[in-house]
Amino acid sequence: MTTAQRLVITAWSAVSPYGIGRKSFVDGVVTGAPTVTELDQERWQGPSGRGCLVPGFEIREVLGAKGTRKMDRVTALVVSTVGQLLADGGIGTGEDTALVLGSTMGSAQSIMDFTKDVLVRELPYLVDPAKMPNSVMNCAAGACAIWHGLKGPNTTLAGGQAAGLMALDYARRLLIHDRAAKVLVGAAEEYSAERAWLDRHSWPAETPDRVLGEGCAVLLVETADRALPASGRAPLAEVLATESRVYLEGDPSKVLVACVRSVLARAGVEADEVWAAVPSSVGDRGRDEREVVRSLFGSEVVDRVPTGDVLGDTGAASAALRIAAVLSVAEHSPEAAGKVALVTSADRYGTVACSLLRLA
Amino acid sequence: MTIENTDTTTVSPERAARIKTVVCEILEIGEDEVTETSLFIEDHEADSLRAIEILASLEKEFGVVIDQAELPRMVNLRGVHQVTAESAGW
Repeated sequence: MTTAQRLVITAWSAVSPYGIGRKSFVDGVVTGAPTVTELDQERWQGPSGRGCLVPGFEIREVLGAKGTRKMDRVTALVVSTVGQLLADGGIGTGEDTALVLGSTMGSAQSIMDFTKDVLVRELPYLVDPAKMPNSVMNCAAGACAIWHGLKGPNTTLAGGQAAGLMALDYARRLLIHDRAAKVLVGAAEEYSAERAWLDRHSWPAETPDRVLGEGCAVLLVETADRALPASGRAPLAEVLATESRVYLEGDPSKVLVACVRSVLARAGVEADEVWAAVPSSVGDRGRDEREVVRSLFGSEVVDRVPTGDVLGDTGAASAALRIAAVLSVAEHSPEAAGKVALVTSADRYGTVACSLLRLA
Repeated sequence: MTIENTDTTTVSPERAARIKTVVCEILEIGEDEVTETSLFIEDHEADSLRAIEILASLEKEFGVVIDQAELPRMVNLRGVHQVTAESAGW
């Protein structure tokens, strides 16, 4: 790095099983209300009858009928979340606004539907051409940019559960190299029967208490020297550092510890300065990740942001939603000002990542 | 032998109505907003993907094959009528 530019989060929003928009997310995190529901088995023919879905998220009702006819669910989640963020803050877009979106694989449903049509239709090319764009991974980010006029760099990062943290680091690079004045950075995952079946067959041994969730969280990140003078947006948190590593064996614990130590060292933060430490995984792996983080920081710090399994396994969105949860708790905790928060992620495909924030 | 199709008389009112329904659904406009000559791209905010979608949907609707080389002619309802009628042999 050359000159140390301070990066700050100045706005955020989320669409999650708590509902649509920032306020419903803050209220949900603070009350910790459960979000698991029994799914309509006619509509969601997945392997499990339960899921943590965004309540009332019918695309054409949420976004209107225009331009949504062939829009898939993950795209709608991103378009809706970014729309909430921009509207809340009266934030303008254009050439200087970038979007960095974390994902697992885009929409499993769109990819599988399109591929299935090739195989089962009368002729292989009798597919629905309007659904072709949905089958590529960067559809959501591209469609969101068109919808909201985000004409800066447009990036989709496949990073599994760690995607939100990797996207945050990608946003840092865009900003310090002056590729954008502000970056919308987040991650999204949709629920679908297709994703649920892929998950079931990929991880048949997972405990049944892990249910799938969905959602999207998006942060507005900009350089501190530009945020306030340009727009009057006050920082909510400073982005201190992000580190990521890979692990090749089944247990990510040692790599997670090394990753946490390394992000602390990079930011020049001592372990006892960490006010909140938030693991992202759920189910068995969530318990393991939580134990590792607890061993490093103690229960009080780990329990400060009560996310737990309450949103279900939100896949790529999980770490981004945890950052939103940190900001939600900080909003109700005057003592959080100036304190450090850590968000960790141990993706089961071999990526470990963590990010450090200093709350404003 | 070539057959010149210069008007829409070869498309029956029933088929014309079906074509209009297909086109208007894809363009996300009401059937009263489109005329025989209003342009899909210039007047109705269509793009190249929508044009392909119109072609593919008409193929499915009428069980015909429309050569993609005909796309440049399918700029409005009149062009669509001509191309569809020729492709279907109406």
